Amino acid sequence: MSAETPDILIVDDDPDIRTLVAAFLEREGLSVAQAGDAAEMDAALARGAPDLIVLDLMLPGEDGLSICRRLRAAGGPPILMLTAKSDEVDRIVGLEVGADDYLAKPFAPRELLARIRAVLRRWREPAAPARSRRIVFDRFVLDLDARLLADAAGRAIPLTSGEFDLLSLFLERPRRVLSRDQILDRLHGRGAEPFDRSVDMLVSRLRRKLGDAEAGAALITTVRNNGYLLTVAVRAAP
Amino acid sequence: MIARLGLRWRIGLIVLVALIGGVATLLAVGAATTGFAAVAALPTPQRLVALATLMDGAPFAERALIAEAASSRAFEVRVEPGPIATGPDSPFSRAEQALLDAYRAALGDRALAVVLQQTSRLGRRLPFVSALNEVDLRIGLRDGAALVVSLRNPVMLSRSGLPIAVSAGVAGIAIALVALVLINREFAPVASLARAVDRLDPDDEADALRSIPARAPEIRALVEAFTRLQQRVRTLNHARMALLAGVQHDVRSFATRLRLRVEHIADPDQRDRAANDIAHMIALLDDALISSRAGAGELDLEMVDLAAFVAGELEDRRAAGDAVALAAAQGAQDLTVLADVLAVRRIIENVVGNALKYGRRATVSLHAESAFVTLVVDDEGPGIPAPQRALVLEPFTRLEASRSRSTGGAGLGLAVALSLARAHGGDIRIEDAPQGGARVLVSLPRFRQRP
Repeated sequence: MSAETPDILIVDDDPDIRTLVAAFLEREGLSVAQAGDAAEMDAALARGAPDLIVLDLMLPGEDGLSICRRLRAAGGPPILMLTAKSDEVDRIVGLEVGADDYLAKPFAPRELLARIRAVLRRWREPAAPARSRRIVFDRFVLDLDARLLADAAGRAIPLTSGEFDLLSLFLERPRRVLSRDQILDRLHGRGAEPFDRSVDMLVSRLRRKLGDAEAGAALITTVRNNGYLLTVAVRAAP
Repeated sequence: MIARLGLRWRIGLIVLVALIGGVATLLAVGAATTGFAAVAALPTPQRLVALATLMDGAPFAERALIAEAASSRAFEVRVEPGPIATGPDSPFSRAEQALLDAYRAALGDRALAVVLQQTSRLGRRLPFVSALNEVDLRIGLRDGAALVVSLRNPVMLSRSGLPIAVSAGVAGIAIALVALVLINREFAPVASLARAVDRLDPDDEADALRSIPARAPEIRALVEAFTRLQQRVRTLNHARMALLAGVQHDVRSFATRLRLRVEHIADPDQRDRAANDIAHMIALLDDALISSRAGAGELDLEMVDLAAFVAGELEDRRAAGDAVALAAAQGAQDLTVLADVLAVRRIIENVVGNALKYGRRATVSLHAESAFVTLVVDDEGPGIPAPQRALVLEPFTRLEASRSRSTGGAGLGLAVALSLARAHGGDIRIEDAPQGGARVLVSLPRFRQRP
């Protein structure tokens, strides 16, 4: 690896796109390897670690999201995710899959090059301090590692494991509507009874424990026909 | 008024009208057959003659015995001291007069008076009351005494001591009430079916409606029909979304290759134009995709602070060199809406883009009303004449006759914005801007917290 000619691995199932991107990047002075799916990518990684992986989201076999999680768990190289669905860019940024940047197809080649250089530059800088795993919302603090909820005065509020999982789901997607199905999938996995009223019961138990945020405003509000929504902003504790 | 009544109330009303009709018929029949001719225990003329003759021949002491022997509950016989007033009788009906004539003919020279023992005229009109009345036939005896025969309709009493008719009425009302409760039970599933169909998400489990407790086969059939309809809608929806997703993926792949190949065009001007064409094509695809998602109710809703969001979007446009201005929001009100960010971004892009394309400059302001937040976009173009305002909100409509490339676009922009606004429960209106251009008003429902 050298700072002048970074090694890039392109993982995309469309050979034309791979070749065209590779040709462009090589003209710009980068060294490029190609892979058509997860297996080819693993083989390429076994030969030597690239400086950055350009990864298509939609791949035959193991998809981009799963590859991204796997590589990130193994502490692999930075990843620039490509997607053929523009609205997916906005959606997956919220998901903690660990990609360093996202780009929608079709992209301007110059844009791709600029993003690659930006990610590489960030990657070489000293690592940022690990993200806090304590989340502040309204007058509460939730510690994700200790699985503890405390109020402003520091008093612990005991939560069952179901209530904790539900609260952390709300905090992951604050101010977004979560449908009952989404909540059920998360709490019980797929195949849960779709008309299970346990979600409603769990939400009302959690509401009681959180109490009312302010007069006239509920922390967790009900959206007709849709589900529930956490109405307050959320930030990481310092 | 009637139109608002539920089925169960309508049936209750029908039962009530039927009951009133029945009672009215009874009253009419009763009124026609009242008077002493309707008394059930009316004796034959010969019986009266026989009684009078018997009394005439009997010693005074035995008259009470004979009276006792001849009496029954409906036919009481006694002898009272005379005389008998034989004035003109009260007005009798034809049937009564005929009966009276028969009695007079049989009795010969004996005096006969008919006395209706009733308290009021009203009593005579009401069948149940008149039935309780007595009719006295007073017949003159040879010695000047009067043979009095009191006829009365025996009122049949039920075990509870009430007249049979009253008991029947009470039982009838009780049965009618039970029937109403049962009808109510039968119709309750129709109302819950309507509610469930309203709430129905085509992507729900197919059994969502089957849980409605309907017993009647017609209502069962209705539930089944709605369930099949839901399955068809779901299949169609899935097929359509799958088709769109497939088309979208493939078109993007082609466009990606094309965009990469464009780099090989030597003429920089042509290269830029080709890249622009691809960008427009993809924008069109995005428009189609997001409006079909909105139409299918697949919006990803979140709380969006429109003031901050619009400011951010316009800042991006200004940075790109577009002539846009944001007027300060009116008042310091909360402008939060529950919306899909991508849809709101698309609405702003299309409405502001339209204003720039046809009206050179876009001036944007936000207004809070009680239930809605309204985004107002004014331009400085020629405006849109009132008759054509509804038309420009239709897909593929543009006001210039020629589809000139200079303004570009397929005429989908406002139509897509309208369908997205409506999917959020909002709307789009077109008016005149104060400075003469067009004014487009996009209203979205304000977010209201509910416990």
